[in-house]
Amino acid sequence: MKCEVCLELLEEYIDGELAERESSEVAAHLITCASCASHSAALAAELEMFSHYDRDLEVPKTLWGKIAEQTVTPVVAPVSNSGFASWFAGLFRVPALGFSVATAFALILVAILIGSAYWQTRKFDDSKTAQGTGTAPKAVPAEIKNDRVDLPKVDNATIAVNQKHKSPRPAQVKHSGVDQSDLVSSDIDYQDMEDHDTAVHIEQTQNLLRSIRNVSVNDGEQDIDVTYDKALSRRLLNENIVLRRDAEMKGKVPAKALLSDLEPFLIDIANLPDQARPDEVRAIKERVQKTEIVAALIGY
Amino acid sequence: MKRLALDELNLEAQPGAFAGTLMNSSRDLVTRVCQGDQEAFRLIFERYSRPVIAFIFDMVSDRELAEELTQETFVRAYRGIHGMNPETKLSTWLFGIARNVARESLRARMRASRQVGLEDESVIDLSDNEPVPVDRLLSKELNDLIRRALEALDEDKRLVFTLKVFQQCSYEEIAEITGFSLAKLKSDLHRARAEMRRRIKPYAGVGYEV
Repeated sequence: MKCEVCLELLEEYIDGELAERESSEVAAHLITCASCASHSAALAAELEMFSHYDRDLEVPKTLWGKIAEQTVTPVVAPVSNSGFASWFAGLFRVPALGFSVATAFALILVAILIGSAYWQTRKFDDSKTAQGTGTAPKAVPAEIKNDRVDLPKVDNATIAVNQKHKSPRPAQVKHSGVDQSDLVSSDIDYQDMEDHDTAVHIEQTQNLLRSIRNVSVNDGEQDIDVTYDKALSRRLLNENIVLRRDAEMKGKVPAKALLSDLEPFLIDIANLPDQARPDEVRAIKERVQKTEIVAALIGY
Repeated sequence: MKRLALDELNLEAQPGAFAGTLMNSSRDLVTRVCQGDQEAFRLIFERYSRPVIAFIFDMVSDRELAEELTQETFVRAYRGIHGMNPETKLSTWLFGIARNVARESLRARMRASRQVGLEDESVIDLSDNEPVPVDRLLSKELNDLIRRALEALDEDKRLVFTLKVFQQCSYEEIAEITGFSLAKLKSDLHRARAEMRRRIKPYAGVGYEV
């Protein structure tokens, strides 16, 4: 086996992913080739180093309780787990429905109380609206009926009347139906949001770079206070990294390229001292001017 | 806490690792959960919560968030376990869910980052670090170094690197978890290794040459 072939296969060899035959060939080559063996040893050492990575992370003891609340009923540790005894006792166990039934009744009662209170409030509001505007209040009960039960039966006239009087009811009608598209965003929604995020980010970065480009720097001057620009740059850098990865993943080549170009500027500004020397600021300023990055941002 | 994956994922190959779960293969546990056995789901949680929280932490780099997302992962797992493909390994399936949960969170966090104040200091700042031989790095320093290097990888590379190097998944399992082709994951893994090396080498200095 040639060294270049061996080196190409080395990672898969170390990962234990090579077929038996290839693996034996690599192993045989490593015995005879000191250079490849050294690479192999270095890779193994690297894995060894990563194996010492300690996140100092424990599973919180309360975590299972939180999960159980949303999934299974929290399991109480059984006092005795002897199979036959518990099976036998189970034959005579009375289902404990009392608490469940009482809870159900209590919930229904609370729901009725809230519902009737709401009903009273609505009736009071509607009668006030009717008195104030002089329109017939007849449409309201029908609509309440729709609001509670039959969503599709809201007629346009009712909606129009309600819109005219700025009643919040139509909005409630709209959201009380089965359509839950507002809960689950589609891919297009996500994409729109991401594009919007990128646009906002680029606009903010553009403003930052403009302010750097336009700063007046004179030799012999005192240090320049860049605390604000530095902090802003740090935030934008964080955003930039996430957006760039996202653009890369989605194959948005122009966005990815532009965001990649931005990163060195943001890093440089973020790493300035709070009181930067004029020559440090000038160096960044000149790079901003020279590379015409602001123009590229405007173009985007 | 070291080597979570090795400790946990290879459990079935280590007879007697957990006396309480000795007789429960992952497949048995899944079957029992589907039959309404709540205790079986708790055993699944005990067995896989550590690798899952470690994996999520590697993806999001935030301790509290990792806990929340682990919770979400297991809640989703419980709700979806009836539809699980019986051919799929439980760990692979759980990592798949964890990956989706982490990914959604990263997107949401990116959007929310606009609301974060300017005093956010989470940017990687390596300016003060001088090269130090690996064996002289204190474990905390080494952990910080690895965490920051990992954080700087792009999402796909971080994903495959974490699954391979820390969670010891096979290429086939990684492909199943991520949906990546074998060629892509090999290429991402190779690049991720190279990037990690490049980022760690200047600070790890001598004794770390590949």
